[in-house]
Amino acid sequence: MAKKELAAAAGEKVIGNGLSKKEIQKIHMQNMNKEEIAYLKRKAALEKVWPVFRFIILFGLCFIILYPLIYMVSCAFRAQEDMNDPTVMWIPRHFTLKILDQTMRAMDFWNTLGNTLFLNIGCSLVQVVTCAITGYGFARFKFKGKNLLFGIVLMMILVPNQIIAIPQYMEFRYFFGLQPLIQNAFGNAAGSAFNLIDSPWTMYLPAMTANGIRAGLMIFIFRQFFKGLPKELEDAAYLDGCGPFKTFIKVMIPNAASSFLTVFLFSVVWYWNDYYVSSTFFTENSTMALMLKNLDKLLLIELFGSATVQVSAREQILWMEAGCLLAVTPLLIMYVCLQKYFTEGIERSGLVG
Amino acid sequence: MKSAKKEGGFLKNLPYEKRKGLYGYGFIALWMVGTLIFFLYPLANSLMYSFMDVRPETGGMTGTWVGIDNYKYVFTEDQHYAKYLVSVLGETLWQTPLILIFSLFIAVILNQKFKGRTFARAVFFLPVIIATGPVYSIINGDISNSGASSAGQFSTMFSTDLMGELFQFIGIYGLSDNMQTMVETVSNNIFSIVWSTGIQILIFLAALQNIPVSAKEAAQMEGATAWEYFWKITLPYVSPMILANLIFTVIDSFTAPDNLVMGRVLDMQSDWKYGQAAAMAWVYFLIVLAAVGIITVIMNHFIYYEVD
Repeated sequence: MAKKELAAAAGEKVIGNGLSKKEIQKIHMQNMNKEEIAYLKRKAALEKVWPVFRFIILFGLCFIILYPLIYMVSCAFRAQEDMNDPTVMWIPRHFTLKILDQTMRAMDFWNTLGNTLFLNIGCSLVQVVTCAITGYGFARFKFKGKNLLFGIVLMMILVPNQIIAIPQYMEFRYFFGLQPLIQNAFGNAAGSAFNLIDSPWTMYLPAMTANGIRAGLMIFIFRQFFKGLPKELEDAAYLDGCGPFKTFIKVMIPNAASSFLTVFLFSVVWYWNDYYVSSTFFTENSTMALMLKNLDKLLLIELFGSATVQVSAREQILWMEAGCLLAVTPLLIMYVCLQKYFTEGIERSGLVG
Repeated sequence: MKSAKKEGGFLKNLPYEKRKGLYGYGFIALWMVGTLIFFLYPLANSLMYSFMDVRPETGGMTGTWVGIDNYKYVFTEDQHYAKYLVSVLGETLWQTPLILIFSLFIAVILNQKFKGRTFARAVFFLPVIIATGPVYSIINGDISNSGASSAGQFSTMFSTDLMGELFQFIGIYGLSDNMQTMVETVSNNIFSIVWSTGIQILIFLAALQNIPVSAKEAAQMEGATAWEYFWKITLPYVSPMILANLIFTVIDSFTAPDNLVMGRVLDMQSDWKYGQAAAMAWVYFLIVLAAVGIITVIMNHFIYYEVD
């Protein structure tokens, strides 16, 4: 398009009074005062210099962002002796999959991946649905105490997890205080069945009630989004005799599809990266983030058969980087495929404006 | 079945507005139950712990009321907490404005039209999917630990005094020491700053795209320079988002993997000192909350809201 316009301008099309466009522009320039000409000149100079600066800035910053990733890839595929070879900068001299293989075994990669995906995708799906329902309730209905309740949503965004983690742990450990009663009534076996620590319920139960990881933010986003949708959509459905719940499912959800996807993707990322909440509720390293957090000890067991061997961090760097690479690859694949929904979704999700 | 019918009849008899309100409760009911169990109750408990000497026992926590002893302990006896708190708050204080300025700058650039814009946007947003996890603490450690400890020959790229050399190259010698250390801290922390701006850039970018075309055209007609355009058009339009980003940045710093105060809280928890840990977390939270509140009140005077 732009090229066409340029060609038209250069093609000296004959317009008005038989003058070409260029001639008109010339006359126009002559009629300008000094300030206007100076302004145009400055603008033209800036337009030439700025792209160069922009390129340098962006290139440099992109490099800073990509550097750890490039380094990860470079490390994961090289042999140990390349670390002490000063001529090896980025491209390994001895290409090997050994490091990657050992790290995968230390992390029990496929099981961990399966487990993480089960927690991640499931919790995210459930949480997106519950948060959307809650957000819709806050966006479209008037009821007593709404402002107070929405204040609680904002509190959920602000309060750091660390404050409520221990009481939450107690709830799960003793089944909301009921476990001792059950134990007394039905014996020890029944009692220990109600210990929810290490079970996926610790993740699923909060997600099911719109209280999972960063649920407050998600409710807020959905509320903003549903507020932005035109009211006429629902009014039409109400006139046709749909109840509010049916309207929500039949009319609002289809309209919110892309917003759903964006929030879902963010939720997957948050659950994937979370290690604080999961380390509180899981004693085993069953998720990717927990594995990575304890990778140095796991590696020692895998490589030397004991967790107490003293190895400097520098010796381990290759395996650590390989572990990082393994942990981010699924996210990266998702990001590359669905990048559009990450970067464009925020605007449509109504967080802004 | 019968009762359900009756219920329907009862609903039908209510005025429309009231009925709609009841449906509103219906929509948020699930969340209300969850919040009561998983948020409000633990929150209240945690606040209670902070005034108690608590021990975990079968069936829950037991403890004795000790008043504000935990808070006293936190400030007067704990060797690390006060130190960490000051350093973390100081860091937040100078890093937050820097992050905001930087992300606005990048957002303005990424909002321009140029080749490879999609790629650049994708790269700048990349940290969002990585930086909240344990991966970040590993790669961050790699880059900031210089020399022998971890990244070996690679770290030299980031650890040499690039800024100092640049100053010498340009010929700036007479800079005061303060100024120089300031510039150097910024340049040395460029990694953590760039890596914590993904969401902020995105939010600013969306705000920039919401600037009406008419405002832009008017500025062009009046012959505004890019500089003037930024101060007179861009800044007022994105100002509500500056506040949003500010709050987001501060909240994000709670969960940063290298947050010293929260690290201390976790250490206390693993030492079974739940009461003191709760007191520490609450002090930190309340200070940050107060700071955010004050800033919000101040900023609200300067924010430009377009009246619809």
